[in-house]
Amino acid sequence: MGVDSTEAGPGPDEAAIAADLVRRIAAGETAAEGQLVERYRRGLRYLLHRLGALPDLADDVQQETFRIVIERLRHEGLADPAGLAPFLRGTARNLLIAERRKTARRRTWGDTGELAQAVAPAPSQLQSVLLDEEAEMVRRLIGELPTDRDRQLLLRFYVGEEDKDSICADLGLESLHFNRVLFRARQRFKELLERFQKQQVPVKEGR
Amino acid sequence: MDHAYIEDNQIADRYVMGTLPPEEVERFENHYLSCPECLDRLDLVEPLQRGFKRMAGQDAAKLAATRQLAFVAWLARLGRSRQIGFLLAALLLIAVLPAGLLLRGTAERGRELALARSDLEQERQRSEQSAAETARLRSKLEANQRDLASQRQQLAQAQQPQSVTVLNLDVERGASLSGGEPTHNVRLPARSGWIILSIPIDPPFQRSYVAVLWDTHGHEVKRIADLKNQSGTLSFSLPPSLLPPGDYSLTIEGLSGRFTFRVLPPA
Ligand SMILES: [Zn+2]
Repeated sequence: MGVDSTEAGPGPDEAAIAADLVRRIAAGETAAEGQLVERYRRGLRYLLHRLGALPDLADDVQQETFRIVIERLRHEGLADPAGLAPFLRGTARNLLIAERRKTARRRTWGDTGELAQAVAPAPSQLQSVLLDEEAEMVRRLIGELPTDRDRQLLLRFYVGEEDKDSICADLGLESLHFNRVLFRARQRFKELLERFQKQQVPVKEGR
Repeated sequence: MDHAYIEDNQIADRYVMGTLPPEEVERFENHYLSCPECLDRLDLVEPLQRGFKRMAGQDAAKLAATRQLAFVAWLARLGRSRQIGFLLAALLLIAVLPAGLLLRGTAERGRELALARSDLEQERQRSEQSAAETARLRSKLEANQRDLASQRQQLAQAQQPQSVTVLNLDVERGASLSGGEPTHNVRLPARSGWIILSIPIDPPFQRSYVAVLWDTHGHEVKRIADLKNQSGTLSFSLPPSLLPPGDYSLTIEGLSGRFTFRVLPPA
């Protein structure tokens, strides 16, 4: 049916791996601490990015999250060892919220420029070019769609933010067809994105 | 949460769009924290969705040049009580606007309209069982027709050639008035018209936003409350009378950064 893999969960068994990491860290195994960081680093980074943390702040919060979580695992373990991901997530969110509160308290009307620059730097020209290029790729993939119905589907989903059920009902589509159109759009966008990135010097800023 | 479920329910897409319910957000975040496959998916869906929004924004700007955005701004100001009228207006809109702009930000209203439509349908069914109800419905219909007539009039007014200037404030985000000249310039229309400001916002989205317009001395010029997130954008219109030539900045309560722009006298 043309969708990604349907394997269950992240990796072989998140609960088992998490429980193993928790047990080994509690037993004082330093290598397990490194493995924990390695396993959750990218996901935590993405989470902080989604929550709106800019790179520098995300770095700090991520580091502090791992410090707190590892410290806790060393000394107290975790009641539900499979709950490692929720524990990491909760710690990161709380730290970010606390950090935002601190920033909000420091904020006054006198320091408009400097602070604004610190928390929301202007996108560079390069970033604007990238954004335009992304729009162009979308325009192109829409243009390549075989039917107007598929075009409508994508526009209604990504721009109108309508849900799948109402789009399918309106356009007389099967759920599987909907999935397929979305899947192909993503695949095509991926090709266009990779082609564009190959033509560029490395431009994307790290998260 | 497994990958079949994630794929079948567009979890990654809806997560990026901010339309996933909070319980699902929590489950998905706990999942992707250690799932490279989902992180790859998110890394793809995010620019894809951004591309769609950017494209819709570009279409909106193009349309503004042809003065149709006034019509959209007018639609955005419609109250709940006019939903049925809006439905008819929306049907008209389909004829005049490209899909991208039409869809932008109207999903929520579309849902409300679907409710209104189903209310009407239920009323119709009930009326079949009751003659009195039919009479009542007829009078309601007449009222709706009157409302429609008045809306047509407003629509005609909104479609009258009038100057509309759209200012997309996404580029100069974070620039300061004191730190240099704002590079966003907007020229006042020579005759009646509107200035529409469009500001991008990042998730997590609030239920509503308050925008505050400041002049160069830090005096509050105008406070615009109850702004709703529409596909990651806040838009509202200001009459030129509120903006004598000069430098301005705009802040959104609860969000960091400010947006600056310069208003120039009419050409
Ligand atoms: Zn996954």
